[in-house]
Amino acid sequence: MATESPTSARKVVVHLRATGDAPILKQSKFKIAGTDKFAKVIDFLRRQLHRDTLFVYVNSAFSPNPDELVIDLYNNFGFDGKLVVNYACSMAWG
Amino acid sequence: MHAIKTEQWRREASFVTLGGMDFKEAVKDKDHWDGTLSLNDFSLSASTFSDKWKMFNPSFPPWLWTPWPKHRLSSSHKEGYLSLENVCLVKSHEKEKEECNISLTCKEVSNISHREEEPFDHATLVCPGYEVNHYDFHIVYSPSFRVPVLYFRSYHSDGQPLPFSEIEKDLPGHSAELLLESKWTFITQEEHPYLNRPWYKLHPCGTTDWMKLLCNNNTSLNKNFIEQYLVSWFSVVGQVVGLKTPLGMLDTVVSNES
Repeated sequence: MATESPTSARKVVVHLRATGDAPILKQSKFKIAGTDKFAKVIDFLRRQLHRDTLFVYVNSAFSPNPDELVIDLYNNFGFDGKLVVNYACSMAWG
Repeated sequence: MHAIKTEQWRREASFVTLGGMDFKEAVKDKDHWDGTLSLNDFSLSASTFSDKWKMFNPSFPPWLWTPWPKHRLSSSHKEGYLSLENVCLVKSHEKEKEECNISLTCKEVSNISHREEEPFDHATLVCPGYEVNHYDFHIVYSPSFRVPVLYFRSYHSDGQPLPFSEIEKDLPGHSAELLLESKWTFITQEEHPYLNRPWYKLHPCGTTDWMKLLCNNNTSLNKNFIEQYLVSWFSVVGQVVGLKTPLGMLDTVVSNES
């Protein structure tokens, strides 16, 4: 994308916070390009935790669609310069 | 993900204690909210959900409240369900990885009689080159689990129901994976509680658990959260069937936090 706006090119600080029985990551904060999709955050967590089913949510209120852009989530729900993402390992339907 | 190096992790069992203080003012004097919803709260939350959906997702068909006075055991006027009907999920196969579900409004004369009085836009949809699968979604309250449950069914343009193998192809990739792992505890065909016809249903057993997780550490668990229950719930459930919750709908869910 040649005409990338400065806002979307911005990096976003994502703070990963464990809840439930989820293991805590040694490094819980990292930077990710705003143009990346939230799916990238989920994939990262899956790889780190060696779990396929994770429950990932934001601001103790909702679970973002993997298609959502990180910058959009940050602009709507980030504060103190970062986007806090909670994760739990126990996600079951039935 | 370049900024990160591989980490090792450790377990911290004590990390999870629910903020007892925050929960003191929780819904209906419960110290620890159990993740459930009463029937009254369901209908309250449903109307908030449907209003917000209309406001932030105007290009999509609306979620409509269908009251159910016919139900014999009904003692209140609150009984009913939310329905989103005639959604066409057109999946472009080239962009399978992108989960590119283009959803279009497709209003046709419904064969369900109670919908006949509603003002209909008879504009017909032309989708050349694609096979269009129609989906109906209902959000029904389960009195035994005390949570909302998503029911859905799918059919071809000629009304013929889709076999589940075809529905599977319409589901986002992560749902299809989950189906392989947990075939009987994720989506199964059951009788629709009001229509008494076979519909597909997302299993509700785990709902209270992940709803509790969702509002964990939530300093604003109060009536507002209950009103937003369906919005939060749908942000999880919608992903299973490829229905996106617009970010604008979620804004007010978290506005109390800052």
